[in-house]
Amino acid sequence: MKTPLLEKLGQKSISFFTTVYEIATLFANVLKSLPHIWFYRRQLIEQLYIFSVNTLPIAGVISIFIGLGATVQGAYQSSDLLPRSLTVSVIFKSTVIELCPIVLSLVLAGKLGASLAAEIGSMKISEQIEALTTLSLDPVGFLVLPRVVAGFLMLPVITIFANFLAIFSSFFVSVVVTDWISTQEFVSGMEMDFKIFELYFGNFIKPAVYGFLITLMGSYFGMKTTGGARGVGDSSTQAVVVSAVLIVIFDYYLGKLFL
Amino acid sequence: MITVRNLYKSFNGSPVLKGIDLEVYDNETLVILGPSGQGKTVFIKTMIRLLEPDSGSINFDGLEISNLGKRKLARFQEQIAFVFQNSALFDFLDVRDNLSLFLKMHKHQSKEEVNEQVLDAIQFVGLEKEVLSKFPEELSGGMKKRVAIARAMIKKPRYLFYDEPTTGLDKANAEKVSELIKMLKTEIEVTSIIVTHDIHLMQQVSDRVALLKDGAIVSVGPRGYVSNETLQDLYDMRGDYEL
Repeated sequence: MKTPLLEKLGQKSISFFTTVYEIATLFANVLKSLPHIWFYRRQLIEQLYIFSVNTLPIAGVISIFIGLGATVQGAYQSSDLLPRSLTVSVIFKSTVIELCPIVLSLVLAGKLGASLAAEIGSMKISEQIEALTTLSLDPVGFLVLPRVVAGFLMLPVITIFANFLAIFSSFFVSVVVTDWISTQEFVSGMEMDFKIFELYFGNFIKPAVYGFLITLMGSYFGMKTTGGARGVGDSSTQAVVVSAVLIVIFDYYLGKLFL
Repeated sequence: MITVRNLYKSFNGSPVLKGIDLEVYDNETLVILGPSGQGKTVFIKTMIRLLEPDSGSINFDGLEISNLGKRKLARFQEQIAFVFQNSALFDFLDVRDNLSLFLKMHKHQSKEEVNEQVLDAIQFVGLEKEVLSKFPEELSGGMKKRVAIARAMIKKPRYLFYDEPTTGLDKANAEKVSELIKMLKTEIEVTSIIVTHDIHLMQQVSDRVALLKDGAIVSVGPRGYVSNETLQDLYDMRGDYEL
């Protein structure tokens, strides 16, 4: 027999609000364990290392092509209607504030979020999380806290690196390769209407929030894993999808709030 | 002494533990015997609150743990160790780190002291020290189980829980594991609670036996009271259980 539409809607709503409540609880538990971060320093250092080594190469490739793509598009769209230094200013700002942080975060949501959910998920189904409890270790403190803190700290570092490469590649294609603009015009374009806060916003605030979201969602769906290999696959997919949706939503609200 | 009274646990409305009553005496080895799917694992996990009970009382040496807060529960859990059915070794750590994790996180000991205890534990379970640098995926099922026992013993627990310790092992490895269980009892004077469907293991290691069927303890007694007829009733199967 088919489930009536209203009943289905009701079940979906309950499941949605339960998930929101559980994520909020996990977040509260992460905050509660934060004062004990020194106790979990080894795990934190390990995660900082993993986050940097595993993500810098892909961040490098993506950011170089973001810079190249943005420059080619900017030059094409502006044609000769706008002064070239103004076009550079638009490219610079849109790359630093919007393109690099969001594209990078979406890619890392796929890479880090999925691997994190799969790692914690397989620990869950193989009883390793319960084993932590029997060793008097808090699974949130031991597994989730170091990952969330590492995400929060490392994403800004990766984004700074990515933004630097994107601007450099933009400079390279517009000044060195195509001779579309002079070095002096390029620099004056970057300086045009320059606000230091925009650099903080694109390099620190946004990536830190996205890093937090990616790691929290990966950890949450990992901890919720049930069943076997299929359960781990489902958790990874959910972690990626939910992180990506949240990143896009937060991108809008952060812009609205800070700019 | 552990006293469990009226312990209930259900999953999505279907009851698994249906009012369990049980007493475990100090320094004894109690085997909880029963066929698969009767709630044995759920029972011992609920006993130490790896799973939350629906209702009932769980008392360890006068300490009621069914309503302990998170911090006090973690402190209580320092007294217990658990050997999981699939060993549950941390696959991101090598054997040395698996064994030393508890000491590193909770005991303020020098590196030399930690290493010494790790070496003692691995030798106690009959493994070579070369195993210490291996990762769990490089070990056989029997070796994993022995490392899991070493990890449990390194805690020097007051209570030691085993979930199907011989499942998936060949006869020789199963013999080694039951030997270890007996040796551990004398070595660290621990109260052991073992859930298993392995009648041979029960005969080898138990002081007392509790029979669990359909989510309830049906009888408890010394090892000798378990007869062919009791096992036929328990397993719902006619046959000679070679007691």
